[in-house]
This record gives sequence, structure tokens and C-alpha cells, in this order.
Amino acid sequence: MGGQSVPDLFDGTATTIAVVVLLLEFLMLRSALLRAQVRLYAVQSLVVSVLAAVVAGGRGVPELYALAAVSFALKAVIVPWLILRLMRDASTEIAGSGVLGVASEIMVALVVAAFGFFTVNVLDIHSDVLPASALSLAFAVVLVAFVLIIMRRDVVSQAVGFFSLENGVSLVSLVVAAGMPLILEVAFLFDLLVAVVVFGVLMRVHHGRTRSLSTAGLTRLRG
Amino acid sequence: MSGGVGPALSPPVIQMAQVATVALGAPLVSGVIARVEAMLQGRHGPRVLQPYYDLAKLFRKEALAPIGASPFFLAAPVISLACYLIVPLLIPVLTSYALPLGYMGDILGGGFILALASFVVAVAAAETGDGYAQLASSRAKTFAAITEPVMLLVMFTVAIVTTTDLPYVLGATVRSSPDQIVRPAHLLASAALFLVILFETGRIPIETHTGTTEFGMIEEGRSFEHSGPYLALLRWGSMAKQLVLFVIFLNVFVAPWGLASTHALGDVLLAIVLLLAKSCGVGCVIAVIDDSFAKLRLFKITEFVAAAFLLAVMAIFTLYLGGG
Repeated sequence: MGGQSVPDLFDGTATTIAVVVLLLEFLMLRSALLRAQVRLYAVQSLVVSVLAAVVAGGRGVPELYALAAVSFALKAVIVPWLILRLMRDASTEIAGSGVLGVASEIMVALVVAAFGFFTVNVLDIHSDVLPASALSLAFAVVLVAFVLIIMRRDVVSQAVGFFSLENGVSLVSLVVAAGMPLILEVAFLFDLLVAVVVFGVLMRVHHGRTRSLSTAGLTRLRG
Repeated sequence: MSGGVGPALSPPVIQMAQVATVALGAPLVSGVIARVEAMLQGRHGPRVLQPYYDLAKLFRKEALAPIGASPFFLAAPVISLACYLIVPLLIPVLTSYALPLGYMGDILGGGFILALASFVVAVAAAETGDGYAQLASSRAKTFAAITEPVMLLVMFTVAIVTTTDLPYVLGATVRSSPDQIVRPAHLLASAALFLVILFETGRIPIETHTGTTEFGMIEEGRSFEHSGPYLALLRWGSMAKQLVLFVIFLNVFVAPWGLASTHALGDVLLAIVLLLAKSCGVGCVIAVIDDSFAKLRLFKITEFVAAAFLLAVMAIFTLYLGGG
């Protein structure tokens, strides 16, 4: 198992970057401060953009440079800035505690990620530009983002979980369809902007109604 | 065996030099770390050689044992120091080639010997009837049990990467090509090991290794009832343990360069100097980390260990996916 087949320098670097994306997703699961979570999302988007640039340089797909630039501008700068701006009105700093303790959450996420790893590995999808392990890692990112959305009880964490899920999807698209027409990729990115607007409205309305960002109060009946 | 400066040494002599380097160099490394830490906190700090003076002073003092303690109480410091000094026989401290006793035990064997040393000290602490010493040894054993899975997974990663579990082989694998260094499995396992070392040397996340509050102590608290030469042996043992862990981290995982590849005296001496310099480098990094993070609450320790566990598990996963 892997013992003898050492990945070459490019594959090793690409997989390491994908691993960093997954680890940042786990860090989001762990972080207790809302702002820290948004910052982690910005770093994660940056890492995804770096991976796109690495693929562009290492495999000679020049349009990916454009994608890397657009995704950096949009996901690492504009979206985090917008979320932080929206949060300025809400005085909440600390994310509501999750359903489970942090260590248990990480264990659950680890199991879910392992499920993602091995199911995708069975599918045996190969790509010309990136090692197949990057695809498994990308699926793990998507699944851990789901865990983040499900476990946390505040709107901001759920929004950040959704956005980072999109990061996982862009990672998948890098592996499966690196040569995808740029216009499609950009269309996805603008989808994300729509999501930001929707979540922004949701956060505003929710904060206006309940005076908190926690969704725990929503289970109470109102007369 | 190409060239090399000075007369050739016989392998047993080099092997003794490995033990001597760890035994005599460990207080120096601890002194450097203490100095760097003090400077980071804006203090002048003790001399770099202070740990040697401390040990010398303790060796001159009289030794007392609590009433009712068995001879094991006095034997434990000697046994634990002996254990810590056996491990350098098994790991690449100075040479990149295996010495005669180098294959006597694998990386797991080294782990067992380190665990035995800590167990002996814990038993001695339990003999005293002192609440604080017993509390510390009970904590040390509890937390050792939760860091143990991380260490095992790191060793499994090594085993999958090299198909052996010998530290010399992993060092050689890492040296062989840059492909081996950027392997995610290698990076993740090294990071997990680093977190365990932070924990084992009493830095992060909860322990205050220099403080005098009993509740913040784990490793240090166990030696409360020992005095004189026995306390000196315990202190020396914990310094030696720190250097042994650094050596495993550096010469097996992260930076297995600068080791002697010949039997020549000049090369071995150079390797000693480089090893101590590298260890002081790691020590500085650890001091910076220690000073820049707040200590956690005691029961937050599971979060810290969960992070290390996550890294180790990911290392195994990426290996099985074929991308590691």
C-alpha cells in the first residue's frame, strides 16, 4: 500500500496543499470565535487559489491563472470582507457552542471524512492534472463542511460552512475538470456571490428578529 | 567510507559518544531554552550553563526519603535516567549508518523504554503518600494514555512509508530525495510528532514547567518528595528525555542532515556540534510557541490531543489513498 510508490514532487505538493485545505476545514470546526472562522475561510480560499495557480504552472493550463486570480479576489478578499462587515452590527463575538464538545465533533468529522476518502477511492476516477488523492480530500472537505453546518448552532458558522463547502467543490472541479471553460468557473463564483447576499439577508433578518445569531432559539414556539 | 578528518573511531566508541552527547548536552539545551524564554519575556534570564550548576549543587546535598517509602523510591531515579540513556543507543544521534546496537530495538522499542522510565517515576511518586506527587503521577499516566494512540499512528505511518520500523531507515528515506520530504504523510506525521513532543516536554497546552503552582505541574510535580542526588537524577533524566525526543524529531523525521557518514573523529565531533545546534534551534522554536500561546484549561487537553490525532490519522489516510 503506497509503500513503494512514492508520488513525484508535483503530486506530493498538490496533495499536501489539498491536505492543508482539509485541515483548515477542521480548524473551522474547532474555532470558537466567529471572526476567526471567517479568517480561516479566507485562508482556505487563498490556499485553493494557490493550488489552482500551482496546477496552472505545473501542468501548463494557463487559463487557471485567471481562475486563481478571480477566486482569490472574490473568495479570499471580497466575501470575507462582506461577512465581517455584516457582523459588525451584531455584537456577538463567540459562536454558540456546537451540539457536541470539540474533541467529539472532530472525531465525528474524522469518521465522516474517512467515509468520503474511501468511497471516492473506490470510484477509481483518474485525472490528468492532479493525483486522485486530491479528489478524495476534496470530498472530505465537502463532508466536513456538512458536519460544520449541522453541528453549529449559529448563522455565521452555518454560512461559513456553506461557503467552505463551495471551496471543496472548486477543489473537486480542479481535479475532475481542470480544462473546464473559464466562463463556467466564473459563473460558479458568481453563484457564490448570490449565496453571500442570501446569507447576508438571512443573518440580518435573524439578528433583527431574535437579537442573536444563534439558531437555538428558533425551536421555541411563538404566539 | 570516503575520507574524513582525523583518526577512525571504532563503532562502540561512537556508540558511547552518542550516549555521552545526550547525557552531557541535555542540560546545555535546557539552559539555552530557559535563556531564550527569559529573553522573550523581557527578562535577562539565567546563565546558559545554569542547569549544570543546579545539578552539581543538588549532587552535593543530602538525600531524604519519606518514612515508609521502600527502597524502590530511591532506585526509581537511577532506573529512569538509565532508561533515558539507553534510548540513544537505538536512534541515529551522531551517525547516519547503524551502529552495532542500533538494531537492538526498533522505534517501538524506544517508545517502550521511554514509557518504562516514566512509569518507574510514577510508581515512586505513588509510594510517598504526598498528595501532590500522587496527583501529578496520576495525571501524567492518564494523559500518557491519550497521547499513546497518536504515537502509535505516527509509528504506523513510518512503518508504511519505509516497510520497517527502524529509525535509521526512515532517516535514510527522508535524505534520499526531495519527493520524500513533500510527501503529505511525512509532513503530517512530523507535525503530529511535534505536537506530542510539545506535550511530553511539558510546554503546551496546560503545563507550566517553570512555575511553582502545584496544580499546573504534571511531570515536575512527580519529584516533590525526592531530594539531593536523587532529585538531580530526576531533573537530569527529564532533560535527557527532552533531548532524546528532539533527536528523534530532528534526525529521524525533519532534518536528518549533518550526521557523520564516516568513522572519522572530525566528522563525529562536527556531528556533535551540529546536533546540539539543531536541538537549540528546535528549542528556540518551542520557546516561542510556548510564550505566544495561552495555556489551556486542564480538560481542554483532549482538544489538543484530538488535533495531533487528526494529523496522524490523515497521514495514514493519504498513504492508503496512494497519494501520500
